[in-house]
Amino acid sequence: MNQAPIPQAGDLAPDCVLPNGTRLLDLRGRPVILAFASDTWDPTLAHQSALFARLSADFGSAGAAFVDIASDEWQALDCRGALAERFGVAGQRALILLDEHGVVRWRTVVAPGQELRSGQVLAALEALNPATAPAAGPEAVAFQLSRRTFVTATLAAAALLLLPGCGSSESDQDSADEQAAATASDTVAVALTINGQAHRLTLDPRVALLDALRENLHLTGTKKGCDHGQCGACTVHLDGQSALACLTLAVMAQGKEITTIEGLAKGEELHPLQAAFLMHDAFQCGYCTPGQLMAATALLQDKTMDTGSGVEIREAMSGNLCRCAAYPNIIAAIQDVQRA
Amino acid sequence: MHPFQYQRADTADQAVATVTKTATATFIAGGTSHVDLMKEGVHRPSVLVDVSGLPLKQITQHEGGLRIGANVSNSAAAISADVRQRYTAVSEALLAGASVQIRNMASMAGNPLQRTRCPYFRDLTQACNKREPGSGCAALGGYNHVHALFGASDACVATHPSDLAVALSALDARVQTLGPRGPRAIAFPELHRLPGDTPHLDTVLEHGELITSLDLPPFTGRSHYLKVRERASYAYALVSCAVALEMDGPKIRRVRVALGGVAHKPWRLPKAEAMLAGQLPSEKLFRAAATAAFADAKPLEHNAYKIPMGRNLLVRALLETSGLQALQGPAGTAFAASVGGVAGQLAVPR
Repeated sequence: MNQAPIPQAGDLAPDCVLPNGTRLLDLRGRPVILAFASDTWDPTLAHQSALFARLSADFGSAGAAFVDIASDEWQALDCRGALAERFGVAGQRALILLDEHGVVRWRTVVAPGQELRSGQVLAALEALNPATAPAAGPEAVAFQLSRRTFVTATLAAAALLLLPGCGSSESDQDSADEQAAATASDTVAVALTINGQAHRLTLDPRVALLDALRENLHLTGTKKGCDHGQCGACTVHLDGQSALACLTLAVMAQGKEITTIEGLAKGEELHPLQAAFLMHDAFQCGYCTPGQLMAATALLQDKTMDTGSGVEIREAMSGNLCRCAAYPNIIAAIQDVQRA
Repeated sequence: MHPFQYQRADTADQAVATVTKTATATFIAGGTSHVDLMKEGVHRPSVLVDVSGLPLKQITQHEGGLRIGANVSNSAAAISADVRQRYTAVSEALLAGASVQIRNMASMAGNPLQRTRCPYFRDLTQACNKREPGSGCAALGGYNHVHALFGASDACVATHPSDLAVALSALDARVQTLGPRGPRAIAFPELHRLPGDTPHLDTVLEHGELITSLDLPPFTGRSHYLKVRERASYAYALVSCAVALEMDGPKIRRVRVALGGVAHKPWRLPKAEAMLAGQLPSEKLFRAAATAAFADAKPLEHNAYKIPMGRNLLVRALLETSGLQALQGPAGTAFAASVGGVAGQLAVPR
């Protein structure tokens, strides 16, 4: 088996027994997606499980004969398993598409730390283009369906690839403690007060406040820059003080008054600093602006700080990077409000 | 990020008991360093015990000095009038470190427990005995420009990144802890370890031992912190220096000096301290002490620049603390501590 050639695009896929006992051969007549998942769990991508479910529901309710992600056509496979070896993708996240005839139409390996790119998805669609499809005539209709199936499947597969899989190279090194925690990585009930509103969420404890805001509550004003506390784009207020949402676990923000950029204006009436930013052209691309505003508004509330001098403002704002270098205008806007 | 169970501790006893019983459990307070390292996969706790809610948030008068609760934020400690006036170096070290946001989040007990900023420690593809004992040290033959001059070993040449720790070492603070075997006090200069052949251990704290407060002993002299970094603000020290000076008339009664950025722990200079005691302060004296202090420095391939930089910094810190040279900014602020000026400006108007 180990000596068997790795099936490439255009090759007939070898018959294999899937973990649920189904044979690949039995799935002929339908496209099959083999998704090899790793266990690299990334809380920033956890929202994609929602996308995954939504896609399935949306396409399912449209009444089309789409792949049911719960059915056999969907295989989330251990990237450390024998099947991964057989397909030459051991230890990697990979997506392999078999057409109705059991031929490998497309295969891609997702590099560590990367997401499946839209270009790769397009390439997959191209691989299933009816114009290049091996079948014609009455089967073209079926193929049309397959293609739409594939749109669903690929998008969902992209999500799937980012989710925890069933295998891990690390599991054998893990202590019993870690294993226990891994199997018991329960979600927790998290109650957050954001811009005066109470929210109740059920979250993996690994989720950072930043991701809870953006992905769970769709408060996307708070930006993700570096995600490691180096850029300040995710600055929010916790109990009136500036803090980094990327380095705050959501579960640890309970009991605090959280203010985000969405909570700064009063309805249509801008916060004076927001108005001053407009007045002074204190941004170009605007990506760092929510963080700049949250850091600066906290600064203005802090009565212990002498913000009259531009030097003190610069020092106090040094945690907020601006790639467009709008710094002079940002400082001017802050000074304007300070003087008002 | 590795999965973990989250538990919020209601009491220090409960926190200690919970962490003690699981080898891979850890405390979390401010989280500014810990969460980042968890995201990087460097820290992989199975149980995370949140001690940020414990009532250790007071700064109180204590035996003629100050007791700073473990959960006091870096910001709150830095702007406390007591800290700023009596332990100026502590405020300066805090305010010259990190950013406002991080200082608001970070706890006083957590700051000295942050891990090294050696880039190889954070890179899972590189050998690092601190991260993975026995795997080797990529920094030894790598780009070791931010690494140690003193006390390093073949296993590890990392430096400790905390500014606060340097000031606390010079002031001989005491660390109060609660551990599996009850409470104890640790002299701050004894808290951190040299790497030896166990660089994965940063401190002498036992597993499950929780810092409950940092105690500053009575001090009536002047203290000062100076820091050199690669950019004007929001960067770790290349070299830093804390001085705690007590005068007796015109003469130095006692001076304590600690360097940052040059060793696995704040590096006290007993030889230089002894040379200075009982002497009249002068630039010549300070330069002699600085030369002696760096006599046994062992530079690596890329960090020899730290020797003249450190000598000059030490001389300047002594000159400024003793009043022979003016501070660059108001005492107790980042402006006094930042060599080369602060963000956006080179010279700071007084």
